[in-house]
Amino acid sequence: MLSNFAYVQPQSLKAALKQLETPEARLHAGGTDLLGCLREGIFGAKKIVSISGLNAFKGVRETSNGGLRIGALTTITQVERHPAIRSRFRALSQGAGEVASPQLRNQGTIGGNICQKPRCWYYRGEFHCLRKGGERCYAVGGENQYHCIFGGENCFIVHPSDTAPPLVALEAVVRIVGPQGTRSVPVSRFHVPPSEDFRQETVLAPDEMVTEIILPPAPSGLRSSYRKVRARRAWDFSLAGMALAITFKDNTVQKARVVFSGVAPVPWRSKEVEVAITGRRLDKETVARAADAAVREAEPMEKNGYKISLLRGVVEEELLAAQSGESPG
Amino acid sequence: MEFDETKIKMSVTRRGFLTTMGVGAAVAVTGRYASGASSDETVMLPEEMAKIRLHVNGRVHRLLVEPRWTLLFVLREKLGLTGTKVGCERGECGACTVLMDNIPRYACMTLAVEAQGFEITTLEGLMKGEDLGRVQEAFLEHDAFQCGYCTPGQIMAAEGLLKDDPEPSPDAIRRGMSGNLCRCGAYTHIFEAVDEAGKRKRGKS
Amino acid sequence: MKNEEKGIYFAEGLAVPETPEPGKDPKPWKETNVVGKSRPRVDGYERVSGSAMYPSDYSLPHMLFGAVLRCPYPNAKIKRVDTRKAEQMPGVRAIISAATPEARVLWPYTPHMKVELFDSHCRFEGEAVAAVAAETPYQASDAVRAIDVTYEVLPFVTDERKAMLSDAPKVHPAGNRVGPTEHYSRGDVAKGFEEADVVLEESYRTECEIHTPMELHGCLAYWDGDLLNIHESTQGVYAVQSKVAEVLDLPLSKVRVMGRYMGGGFGSKLQPGKYTVIAAILAKITGCPVKLFLTREETYLCTGNRPASNMKLKAGVTKDGRLTALDFSVVGSGGAYPAGGTLLVDWLVKDLYLCPNVRTAATDVYTNAGPARPFRAPGHPQGAWALEQMMDALAKAIDMDPVALRLKNIPSYSQARKGNPPYTTTGLAACLKEGAKAFGWEKRRKEIAAEKPNGSLRRGVGMAACLWVAGGGRPPSTIILKLFSDGSVNLNMGASDIGTGTKTVMAMVVAEELNVHTDVIQIEHADTGTTQFATPSGGSKTVPTEAPAVRRAAIHVKQQLLEMAAEQLKADVSDLRFKGNAIVHGNDDAKKVTIKDLKGLKKRGVVVGVGYRGPNPEGKVVNPFGVQFCEVEMDIRTGEIRIVDFLGANESGRVMDRLTFDNQVFGGITMGIGLGMTEVRVLDEGGSGKMLNKNWHDYKLPTALDVSPRMTSFPIELPDPEANITGAKGLGEPVTIPTAAAIANAVYHACGVRMTETPINPTRLGVMLSDRPKEA
Ligand SMILES: Cc1cc2nc3c(=O)[nH]c(=O)nc-3n(C[C@H](O)[C@H](O)[C@H](O)COP(=O)(O)OP(=O)(O)OC[C@H]3O[C@@H](n4cnc5c(N)ncnc54)[C@H](O)[C@@H]3O)c2cc1C
Ligand code: SF4
Ligand code: FES
Ligand code: FES
Repeated sequence: MLSNFAYVQPQSLKAALKQLETPEARLHAGGTDLLGCLREGIFGAKKIVSISGLNAFKGVRETSNGGLRIGALTTITQVERHPAIRSRFRALSQGAGEVASPQLRNQGTIGGNICQKPRCWYYRGEFHCLRKGGERCYAVGGENQYHCIFGGENCFIVHPSDTAPPLVALEAVVRIVGPQGTRSVPVSRFHVPPSEDFRQETVLAPDEMVTEIILPPAPSGLRSSYRKVRARRAWDFSLAGMALAITFKDNTVQKARVVFSGVAPVPWRSKEVEVAITGRRLDKETVARAADAAVREAEPMEKNGYKISLLRGVVEEELLAAQSGESPG
Repeated sequence: MEFDETKIKMSVTRRGFLTTMGVGAAVAVTGRYASGASSDETVMLPEEMAKIRLHVNGRVHRLLVEPRWTLLFVLREKLGLTGTKVGCERGECGACTVLMDNIPRYACMTLAVEAQGFEITTLEGLMKGEDLGRVQEAFLEHDAFQCGYCTPGQIMAAEGLLKDDPEPSPDAIRRGMSGNLCRCGAYTHIFEAVDEAGKRKRGKS
Repeated sequence: MKNEEKGIYFAEGLAVPETPEPGKDPKPWKETNVVGKSRPRVDGYERVSGSAMYPSDYSLPHMLFGAVLRCPYPNAKIKRVDTRKAEQMPGVRAIISAATPEARVLWPYTPHMKVELFDSHCRFEGEAVAAVAAETPYQASDAVRAIDVTYEVLPFVTDERKAMLSDAPKVHPAGNRVGPTEHYSRGDVAKGFEEADVVLEESYRTECEIHTPMELHGCLAYWDGDLLNIHESTQGVYAVQSKVAEVLDLPLSKVRVMGRYMGGGFGSKLQPGKYTVIAAILAKITGCPVKLFLTREETYLCTGNRPASNMKLKAGVTKDGRLTALDFSVVGSGGAYPAGGTLLVDWLVKDLYLCPNVRTAATDVYTNAGPARPFRAPGHPQGAWALEQMMDALAKAIDMDPVALRLKNIPSYSQARKGNPPYTTTGLAACLKEGAKAFGWEKRRKEIAAEKPNGSLRRGVGMAACLWVAGGGRPPSTIILKLFSDGSVNLNMGASDIGTGTKTVMAMVVAEELNVHTDVIQIEHADTGTTQFATPSGGSKTVPTEAPAVRRAAIHVKQQLLEMAAEQLKADVSDLRFKGNAIVHGNDDAKKVTIKDLKGLKKRGVVVGVGYRGPNPEGKVVNPFGVQFCEVEMDIRTGEIRIVDFLGANESGRVMDRLTFDNQVFGGITMGIGLGMTEVRVLDEGGSGKMLNKNWHDYKLPTALDVSPRMTSFPIELPDPEANITGAKGLGEPVTIPTAAAIANAVYHACGVRMTETPINPTRLGVMLSDRPKEA
């Protein structure tokens, strides 16, 4: 059961930022990840600062240039169903639709989804591992079947979010507000790989918060998709997945952004695949080469070697589907 | 713990509730002020109980709660609404599913204080006096349960699904019900019951 | 319910089953009016309205909440428990540990292995160390966290495959063997293999599975003076009563256990837990009711499991499909205490198919993990995983249809039992033949064989068969039936309804015999204070155990009514019979009296019928049988599998309630999908030995999207007149036995990869596919 904490629900951004200055304050959006972390005792909270009353950050708005501004408190369900997201940024709608369960999508927010804590079972369990300030990573030599094959170095989590990879593929930008003011960070640089800092998942300072996610206008002819493979068909994190944003010119790939889920500590942009397909037709050979390229740098652990063949399969399937214009996923 | 219970009319909607309360008041909490808090908020302290108002099944309940108490705990142990079940308290089973403004959510992942301002519906709230609601009826007739412990959550999820999509396809039913585990494995009958309840709600049978 | 005749008698003028003379068995039902129909549950309203009170729903004035501190290590000795800080915390009313005199009682893990309730040596993660009662569950858990325990952490072994290595840490001083390896043999296995045209050998493994019923394990305990009352979520109130009375040294009469509704058990609630006793002690010490339900995480550690099974099977078959020899071995572990780590895993190998030469060996070892508890069809799904995949492989090797191969080896008697007693009935062949027809087995196999691969998608069909070792039911059972002066009925039985529809089936039996509406039958059950002794509901034996006793009780009522009528009509009992709501004279229609006009009944107010369960047929075996067929679609790039169709053909004697029958079939298949595709307990073997996935997210149960969108229940109804006077056999366990194997066979059919280890999902299948890519 939860340990006790103080609770406050500020009614303005300013008041929220002030409350966040309290040491060991924790920000609460939908609470679906936060309460789980507190229940597990992953970290403590002296004070819960709930921003669920900040209505200004709920909902999706069109920007003047044809992009979208998604308030951080927009629920995952709202993101999934928003007509403009469905039609123009399908990967994000699909990603949102793959998150957790209907009830959690109704409650969890997009801001919370990209800020959620890792799901490594040592981290969530009673292990004082590196990421929690301990001495070692228990996944090394341990039960690492759900851990990463890219970018591990010292901590081998996979990033749990299904919305972040599509956001990276769609070149979205996070707006962050803090005591110092406002800054914008591309989602692709929002998450911190363990090679930079294994104690921190995002670039956020404790007194900062995400207010909005901005999607730049979709280039014409953009096709985007998100595909996720999991051990159970609902309510399960990605074993390997791929967000794809692609444009074609005369049947050849003009530009592509490929971002993997479930295989790396941050949404994993695969420049290798992008290079392997740009300027080419997505025929069988190209796709096979792209699949090879996708996993070339992979460094599997003892128990997650399956992710290599899995990821190859996902890459092949998605690229073939993109070429044929079928709705992938 | 419940020191006051004001009966209000069943017809009160969330909007009605908000207008009478004022938007700020619906979410703010009366009670103790901690030092330094600005005027639009109240800090609930961990070691003290604070007053909250919950709007459950058409009634307003004023309660004293600790900030950490979940809606699930308050519904079951303070309001005696044990139709809402507890399976995991981690958002992993759906037994605690309730409607908040007609949207299914997990009561175990919702702090009671966060549930203020919402119109909360539990299984008990679907009853029309002694009579079952349509989804309940369909669950009964299609034997959409075995031990029955996941059933309240399943029914609430189905209610939410049908409110949102009155004519769900078989796939939509399966997806809509995918946030509720049934260890007894009554899914097949659950799908049939949801389908049937949808038809009845649409007045087709 | 209106208290008038119409409301009570469901059909006037309907034939009522004949009433046998006292002491004689009734004839089997021929035509039935109620039994066998689709009857929604008699307690359905309560369950869907929220008015059903499950044990975890009860609240009492001054009630406290209990919580247990559990050992976080798989093997540790407790050096010191410091509760001082916890005692000072708000709301805390009692803390008990090994130092508490009231808690110095012995807990029998088995009749021969008793340990202190709070044992100083914790042999598995999750063993109880201390417990708290506090005013809120939050305060109780705060206090549990504040108890300071010093552990001496010891080396451990959690993998049963390593427990027999010479350097494995010892779980108990005498070593890690629970007993000597159990051997069974018949015929001459070596000779059998010589006679075979094809001999195959394979290793199989099923992972450890946790019951995780939806309602948590636990109880509400309170004392009325020296009477201990317990509302427990249990499959058997009398089993809880006897163990709690034993541990606390109380007379049975002073332990009242109630468990009217319960949210699932699957075997894990056949017995109480330490938690039951802990709640009782906390209630005693505090003088308050104590509600103690475990957290979901705790239920993963200490409320039982289906042990992992490591199996080897060598099988020989002739070209024409005769099994010549089976050689099987299994290693398993029931955890840190004797708990049947290999129980019945070899049963199907010994008994399902005709085979003259069979040898099995079962080695049960200790490991530092939570003790097993019986789990729906103990041992059988594991054995089926091996045997039924082997049958599939043999069929392929001799180029025979898998259904045909099985049909060549159908026994009419039990080969594994002494003296080869015959089965009263066996529907195995009928399940195979008719099930295959209903599923379109041959047609689908042909279609798939002719199909061109569609991208990366492949289709496959698979099947598997089973029997269940028990399922015939047995004495004792006592039922009391009260017929009131208006003809309405009160049924009193001790058995629990664990979700299988027991109450509904019993009401249907009463309705059948007495021609009353099920709605006017009030059922009192599962309460040691007010209902009759019953064994726990498990083993698929509840219907065949209780239903005959219910029928007898109803007959007993009718016999008394006939006597009353005979007196009133001045006729001979043998000339009278029931017709609709009346008793009529056989030759003289004018001579009749309606039930409610019986003077004797009016005077007494009630007629009490008592029914006992009679003995099982001597020298015969009563077993249910079943076969399942499924179709899967898989993506050979990713190893994703979609089940598209499932059919369960079950022969369980008479179908009592078609609705709950089908529900059991679907539920069993769903649970089998869990074993086959999603569930695995993960222990941190190489590191801490702790369970890493003790929650419903990392330990995955099938969701609505994992089950087959199409499921068919295809009952093979063969009422079994010899089994008992209702003709019904058990159903609850056979429905889950063959599922996982059927899926594995379908996967093989689809892609040519033989999955010998559970669970079949992309984490395992993907590797297999890329290792040995094969065209189907
Ligand atoms: C059982 C389960 C299964 C799940 N499965 C999936 C899945 O398959 N795929 C997937 O993507 N996710 C999954 N999730 C995660 C879920 O989507 C997240 O819990 C949810 O999106 C978080 O949103 P929230 O608003 O509830 O966040 P909260 O719980 O309120 O917050 C999460 C974290 O982010 C911080 N935070 C929240 N909002 C902000 C903000 N605006 N600025 C700064 N920091 C912020 C909080 O401080 C906290 O640390 C699952 C969760 C559960 C419990
Ligand atoms: S992978 Fe990271 S989070 Fe997991 S145990 Fe290692 S350091 Fe901790
Ligand atoms: S109790 Fe809330 S989801 Fe399980
Ligand atoms: S009916 Fe028992 S868990 Fe669903």
